[in-house]
Amino acid sequence: MAELQPSDSGRCTYFFLYDGSKVKGEGDPTREGICYFYPEETPLDRQELLCGQLAGVGRCVSELSLSPVRVLQLRRNKFAIRMKDDFFWALGCSMDVPIVSVCELLDQLIDLFTFYNGSIRQSYQLNSQEALAARWAQYLSHLQSGSSELHHIFSCLRTIDSTNVDPLLLLKAALILQACQRCPLVLAGCILFRGRVVSTQMFPELTMKVMVHESETYTKAPRSNGQSSSSPSGGAVSSTTVFLTLSELQYLQSAPVDKDFSSHSTPHKDTVPPRKTRLSRTLSDMASTESEPSDPGSPPSPQKVSFSPDSTFSPVPSQSLEPPFSNGKHSHEAEEEALEESYYHSFHSNGGGGGGGGGDTSVFEEDSPLNGGRGDAACGTVFDFRESRSGNEESRDDEVQEEACRGGGVCGSTGDPLPPSPPPLPRSGALGDPEESPLVPMTLYMHRVKGLVLALLVELHFLSDTAATEEVYHSSLASLNGLEAHLRTISPGPPGPPGPYFFSHFDCIQSTLTTNLSGGPGGAPERPFVRATSLLHSHFCNTETLQEAIIRSAGAAVYGTRSVAQETFFQQHGASLRNSGIPNHQDSAFSLPSKARHRLLKHGVNLL
Amino acid sequence: MWSGWSKTGTTVKQDRSCVSVVQMKCLLIASESAEVLFHWTDPEFQQNIQEQYGASQEEGQGLPAFEDSISTLFAPIIISCSTMVDRLGDNYTSFTTENNHIYVLHQFDECLYIAVNGDGEEGEDDLRRKIYVMKKMIEVMFGMVTLSSNLLRKELRPQDTDQRARLWKHLQSLLETYSHLRENDQSFLVEAVERLIHPTLCEQCIEFLERRLVQQLNSSVERAGEEVLHAFILVHTKLLAFYSSRNASTLPTSDLLALIIMAQNMYPSNVDLEDSGPEDVESTSGSGPESFYTPEPSPTDRDSSSSDKPVRGSTPVFEFVDPDIQMAEDSLRTLEVPPPDPSTPRRVFLEVSLKEGLYPMMPHSMYCLPLWPGITLVLLTKIPTTAVAMSVYTFLEAFANLEKRLSQGQEGSAATRGPPTIHDIRSKLDKFIKALGPSEIQSAQLQNVWTEFKNRAFTRGGPGFNKHLIPWCKHMKTQLCGIYRQCFLIDSGPADIPRRLSPSLQERAQTMVQEKLMDWKDFLLVKSKRNITMVSYLEDFPGLIHFICVDRSTGQMIAPSLNITERTTSELGKGPVARFIKSKVWNLVSTTRRYLQKGYSTVTLRDGDFYFCYFLWFENETGYKLEAGDIPILPDDSAPIGMLAWDYYSRKLLRYYSKNHQGEVVKCYELLTVHLGVIPTEIILQHCRQLASKLWEPSRNPLL
Repeated sequence: MAELQPSDSGRCTYFFLYDGSKVKGEGDPTREGICYFYPEETPLDRQELLCGQLAGVGRCVSELSLSPVRVLQLRRNKFAIRMKDDFFWALGCSMDVPIVSVCELLDQLIDLFTFYNGSIRQSYQLNSQEALAARWAQYLSHLQSGSSELHHIFSCLRTIDSTNVDPLLLLKAALILQACQRCPLVLAGCILFRGRVVSTQMFPELTMKVMVHESETYTKAPRSNGQSSSSPSGGAVSSTTVFLTLSELQYLQSAPVDKDFSSHSTPHKDTVPPRKTRLSRTLSDMASTESEPSDPGSPPSPQKVSFSPDSTFSPVPSQSLEPPFSNGKHSHEAEEEALEESYYHSFHSNGGGGGGGGGDTSVFEEDSPLNGGRGDAACGTVFDFRESRSGNEESRDDEVQEEACRGGGVCGSTGDPLPPSPPPLPRSGALGDPEESPLVPMTLYMHRVKGLVLALLVELHFLSDTAATEEVYHSSLASLNGLEAHLRTISPGPPGPPGPYFFSHFDCIQSTLTTNLSGGPGGAPERPFVRATSLLHSHFCNTETLQEAIIRSAGAAVYGTRSVAQETFFQQHGASLRNSGIPNHQDSAFSLPSKARHRLLKHGVNLL
Repeated sequence: MWSGWSKTGTTVKQDRSCVSVVQMKCLLIASESAEVLFHWTDPEFQQNIQEQYGASQEEGQGLPAFEDSISTLFAPIIISCSTMVDRLGDNYTSFTTENNHIYVLHQFDECLYIAVNGDGEEGEDDLRRKIYVMKKMIEVMFGMVTLSSNLLRKELRPQDTDQRARLWKHLQSLLETYSHLRENDQSFLVEAVERLIHPTLCEQCIEFLERRLVQQLNSSVERAGEEVLHAFILVHTKLLAFYSSRNASTLPTSDLLALIIMAQNMYPSNVDLEDSGPEDVESTSGSGPESFYTPEPSPTDRDSSSSDKPVRGSTPVFEFVDPDIQMAEDSLRTLEVPPPDPSTPRRVFLEVSLKEGLYPMMPHSMYCLPLWPGITLVLLTKIPTTAVAMSVYTFLEAFANLEKRLSQGQEGSAATRGPPTIHDIRSKLDKFIKALGPSEIQSAQLQNVWTEFKNRAFTRGGPGFNKHLIPWCKHMKTQLCGIYRQCFLIDSGPADIPRRLSPSLQERAQTMVQEKLMDWKDFLLVKSKRNITMVSYLEDFPGLIHFICVDRSTGQMIAPSLNITERTTSELGKGPVARFIKSKVWNLVSTTRRYLQKGYSTVTLRDGDFYFCYFLWFENETGYKLEAGDIPILPDDSAPIGMLAWDYYSRKLLRYYSKNHQGEVVKCYELLTVHLGVIPTEIILQHCRQLASKLWEPSRNPLL
């Protein structure tokens, strides 16, 4: 009688995907249905036992209740379950992980798979089980990797420590993203540094998905699995096909993006183009940008909208990869220098050219002979993708791909007269279930500058649209270099005295966590705090009306408070543990709320 | 970590597949071979099962028996449970579906309990509590027979279908009574006894019970060898007076609560009509849904007059019974058992602590004598053969210990060390079996197994004490449980010896107390609805909405009445507002229990417009507040925190806490308060402190 032994590494003890459709008959061995099982070294009979029993019981219960099973608990393991068609996923964690977090982890895992591979059924029809097993393993290890237990409790994004970073750098990152978004083929983007978010335009769930690819390309530089590398600089830019649900897409499209001057649909656009002439703006632009938005200034003539062949096709200027101020000279001046430089290396005229309009088309035509090769490369990507999914797409996918391919193949010589706004897909309109809505293929474009990555979600034919790629690439390159140089030189520094208290602050909107916990393993003094946080977080999740709570055990009193936007937890060290537990208004536990309000102000947490 | 909270789900994605909403509740006990040992279902569940089953059945014989369908549908789960235990050493504790149906599973020995809720009203903790309460009620009814799965299975599922139907109906009605009390009665919410606050009357009643009633009963020749140990008067679920005779041991709160459920089940207070005058109650309570119940199995007396269904309620039940005929004995269980006569006591098995030690599940007789609707006198008697039960328990314990040591790999003298030593047991058991010989108890099989055991264990050169003896320990236990069953569950004594307080004696007792309380009865019925009211606290505690204070050492609670019926206006207002506050209080109790389970003894919550506090603390005998210590952290599927099914406070908390307070009497208190959220926290805490220190002062006299 062997026991289920939770492994020490990570919080997940078991994960499996079981395909019930492969085990229909009496004689079918259970192993036929096992698509993936983690830990992979689990003996096969054990795998069969778990898959068979859990899937069987799951089916029985869901028949009784006319609803799929969501949670299945054992004495020593708890499983989040997802049942869809004949597929049965189970993710098992040890008992000390809150069930809300386990369910969230499983959802993330499945969503990740769908994001990179499309629908599950098709993936398994098209790819070998081994290849997909590697994917599952990759996603699982990504989700479990590194971060502290608190991160797991909140399932939050890992961000750079903004307390150490000059806020101007964050602003700069945001500007780079905004600039890229000027290209209408770009939906949204994010900038990551060493696996942490610097700035993002996407909602947290999507950012989290994008980060998997980033960490993958970071760990194994030359990718091999069908993803293309089509960069002017050779290797720094990569792309892969991803699948967004309609609700995700709508969400992205509904985001307020300043695309004024690239939005050709407004008739007066041609006559009143904005003054902005660059995709990339420097920090010094800032004030004017904000003070005079889309000021109908002197319209630059469409003829000016053209690439300078030099800047486009000269190999990426090496000096921009090596920041000019790398040896100690990193001041704002230097930064601006770099940005200015990037300005000169990018477009000299209306950056919105990629968006199309009569003049833009002519630009594409001009350029087409020059970048034919590039166009092929880009097409290659698309064909790759087609091969991998041949014959099984929904017609919608075909359409989209054809569109994309046409765009790529012809490379703008005819061009799409209209910008590739996402096709109006037949849809009930209800947001919610990502699985039942058709998936929309998109391209995830990544531009890496050492530890820094610019990740953009772009339309499929972005890659074949040379002008657009050039534009995005060059407009951001120098800024990225500059940003990278700055971020790299920021030493994490001594974390400073942690203070006589623990706190953690979870931003529910951005899904980010601020804490003064070291997060390292074996943080025995932190245990009571983490435990209480986990309990209170579960309580908050399940009781909408709960605003604040103080809970005290023999060892620690922890205060938790939450609003729509945040959850904050606070514990004071060395508070008198000697108390009788009888109600006493002088008890230090009840002064926690006011202490938290004062102490956390300096961490930028405002509880007032 | 907090499984109980998973019911509201984690993501928005969950509710999509909730196409048809099935709201259903069920409690099932099954053997390992998926045989249904008991089931309770609400009509929705029954309908759902029948629809599902009907759909998959070809027409012809009509729908199969409900019991069969339920067994078929749950069989895969039950079988998977045993597979998991056998092959992984782990077992399911709960399932949650996307439409928030919750299934809680718990295995006690070879009996698997499954509780299902589909209407969102019960969480995982509630279902687990229900399972444990069910087990507790079965223990009270079947005593040590529950220690042998094999025998218990037979008891819970009698071959005779009528008998089975009656037993199950009785258990179902007990479960419903419990659920009703848990959902509506604060004392069953916190699982502590609520007494009527009227010190003078209480004292008078206790004195009356002691000097007049119990004395008279115990000196009567009609008591047939029984001895009244405890006597108490219930007004609905509240205790007016409790008296224990001098040689009785303390009745644990757990048992007292279980007995109150049984009494409520026999004579339910009609809660829907709670606020009607006593006269109205009189005319309605006799026709409650459970107006007929069958104690089963119990002494099976037959007489001609009792073939009529006994009518309970306003008329004293004994009028239906001719005492002489009543004496006639016929214990042939194979015969059709008529509805029992109401003067037949219920056999209950209660914990007894004596100088020699703790004896769980000792047989008692419980006489429930209705005085007026809503007011009941309960007598608990010791039966003459208690000594047999104590011996059986001693032997059972000895064999269980031996089995445990042998299965841990100990052998020889290491396995047989006492006390009592195996040699003690040997001589005692020899005597015991010899003494059983002349009686009607069939002890031949016990004799055989014991002889075989002795041959193996004691024979020189024989196998001796090693793991091969384990099955024989089991056999011995089963045989002993069998003896116990014969002695206390089947009335097999000589037919001509009366085995209970005579009906006329019971009637006399009833009349005595009725006379005593005649002038008080209307007052008592009203008082039980308005035991203490918030009005008296409003002035001193502005902003206080409700509180519950519990003394866990005595198992008593104090709380203002929560009346939620439409007809009354309480301080909380009527109808919806009162119901809302009631639901807040109920939630608060379950929330604080979850924190307590994880080691948190102080909790304050700001929730909506309210501020909730919970405090647990310890005092010594003189009222000195002891320092808060470590509290055990329990797993999610541990026994529910409370006192009814399993006394968490004395079995776990105090035992744990007392480690650092050796030799000191440690008392444990709990206070829950609900305040308006606008009241400053300091004021709220001051209120709590005042409540905590003052509440128990006027009533320091112990209840039990």
